Amino acid sequence: MIVAVLVGAIRSGTSVLFACLGELVAERAGIVNLGAEGAMLVGALTAFSVTALTGNPYLGALAAALAGALFSLIHAYLAIHRRANQLASGLAVMILGQGLTAFFGRTYVSTQIKGLDPVSIPLLSKIPAIGPILFQHDVLTYLSILLVPIIWFFLYRTRWGLVLRATGERETVAYATGHSPDRVRYAAVAFGGLLAGLGGAQLSIAYTLNWVENMTQGRGIVAVALVIFASWSPWQALVGCYLFGGALALQLTLQARGLGVSPYIMSMVPYVLTLAVLLVVSQRQRNAMPEGLRAVFEGT
Amino acid sequence: MALGPLAVFAIFLLMVKTNPLETYWDMLRSTIGNTYGLGEVAVRAAPLILTALAAMVPARARLINVGGEGQLAVGALTTAAMAMVLGDRWPQAPTLILLALAGMAGGAAWAGLAGVLRVKLKLNETICTLLLNYIAFLFVGYIVHGLLKDPESFNWPFSPPLADVARFPTLPHSRVHLGILIAPLVAGLVWYFTARTYWGLRLRVVGGNPEAARRAGLNVERIQLITMLVGGMLAGLAGMIVVAGVEGRLRPATGVGFGYVGFLAAWMVNQHPLWLIGSSILLAIITVSGDSLQITAGLPASSVNILMALVLLGVLARFYQEKKST
Repeated sequence: MIVAVLVGAIRSGTSVLFACLGELVAERAGIVNLGAEGAMLVGALTAFSVTALTGNPYLGALAAALAGALFSLIHAYLAIHRRANQLASGLAVMILGQGLTAFFGRTYVSTQIKGLDPVSIPLLSKIPAIGPILFQHDVLTYLSILLVPIIWFFLYRTRWGLVLRATGERETVAYATGHSPDRVRYAAVAFGGLLAGLGGAQLSIAYTLNWVENMTQGRGIVAVALVIFASWSPWQALVGCYLFGGALALQLTLQARGLGVSPYIMSMVPYVLTLAVLLVVSQRQRNAMPEGLRAVFEGT
Repeated sequence: MALGPLAVFAIFLLMVKTNPLETYWDMLRSTIGNTYGLGEVAVRAAPLILTALAAMVPARARLINVGGEGQLAVGALTTAAMAMVLGDRWPQAPTLILLALAGMAGGAAWAGLAGVLRVKLKLNETICTLLLNYIAFLFVGYIVHGLLKDPESFNWPFSPPLADVARFPTLPHSRVHLGILIAPLVAGLVWYFTARTYWGLRLRVVGGNPEAARRAGLNVERIQLITMLVGGMLAGLAGMIVVAGVEGRLRPATGVGFGYVGFLAAWMVNQHPLWLIGSSILLAIITVSGDSLQITAGLPASSVNILMALVLLGVLARFYQEKKST
């Protein structure tokens, strides 16, 4: 059962991890995007419909990434160009995503697809316990794990990462060194949307293999919350997302075993857990927050 | 102002092979074109005005309360619980007053949770209230499947119907009830408090410049917490009006959507307590017409969400222009 829960933690945490990493990059550039929830939904539906139409889930994932990036540009335009309130704008984009996907998704509600197959990594997947937990997943899951060191390297070991972080900390610094903060932010938000789209894709074409209206169930919001938990660091994001995934998986496992606790109470656990971890770490996290986000999050 | 989003939605309608003019005409005819439709709009607008106020009051202290949704749900829950306790023991007036108090207490408690997290731990209230919305609806689901389940409902997740004394009097052959009058009254009260009292002045200072307010000796955190509590109270009152007015019982989806649409209504008019009556009515027309779209144009009711999001996006894009011109 422990193995089952851990496998489930990774399987159900991956979509959140994608969105969380994307949000992390955007926030490092100083833009909070609550529209990640909408971008995930758009990604989930795009991936599902393209897979259903072409029969190729890889094409579906690619389309989802593009759709997520394009969709996030709405938020980028409002937040960067029009200087709209970022939280309100993200929320509007979230509602737009919910509306659009509910509308275009209704024809796919009972469609069946053949999604991404799990790919076992030779040799490693044969290790007892660790093999099934880590090395028998779909390609998107591997990609999400690989992205953690990649994004870390990008942020802390490359020039562009430095420019991105400078933009989020104090945009005048980026400006003074000859970079356009706006352009950096557009790129960061689009990249965040791209990953949120992939997260949605993992959900619909690798995990649930169906389309349900509003199927992300707040995962995009949780991703935004987990970025705070992670102190804007990719490695801690990995931990947070698998913690959330673990809570989801534990709940499903316990329900399947007919534990006498109401499924409603069980379903609350991941959200309560997210709030609880935020509570525990909130004080420490304030110092890690990019300077430019303070105005958005604290409104002062 | 409303033309941009309407035009974009018209293009969207054309893309899905629907005649936008006919659709808009249907939307108008089914809502403000007949007495029944007008009544439905009024019934829908009343809780929206209250959830809009629930977003507006904290917004005046620079807090973004997106929790109207969950606060309304918890208010509806406490209302239903109180109605079950009271039964039909007391006459209508005291019963309704107690229900309203119960609803307000429930909503305030739920908002207070996010408020305390915000002022004590600096946890962002937008994220907290959003997470709490999901928890609130799951909690309501749990309660209507368990504690408050109607034993005669044949396994449907309903609370027992409210006693007649716990319902607002309604007009004959309509769903229009007395409770809808509460909403504009409360909006007037909120306007009075924010515009004409010392309290409102302090709130303006905190909203205008928290740092200046702090230096002037105002307890910014306390004022922010109070605005959250008041916001929650108003959303909870909206929940009470929904339960004691139209629904008459608690269901898992009681009040779904009112919180977000109310938030939108408040942002549309830049957080003005009286103008938001107008924006709430406008959005009520759009949501009510969503049902008719489903019937006449074969569009799902959710398509009006697209129109509403477009309206909000249009409004958000507009603010900058205004700031620039002044």
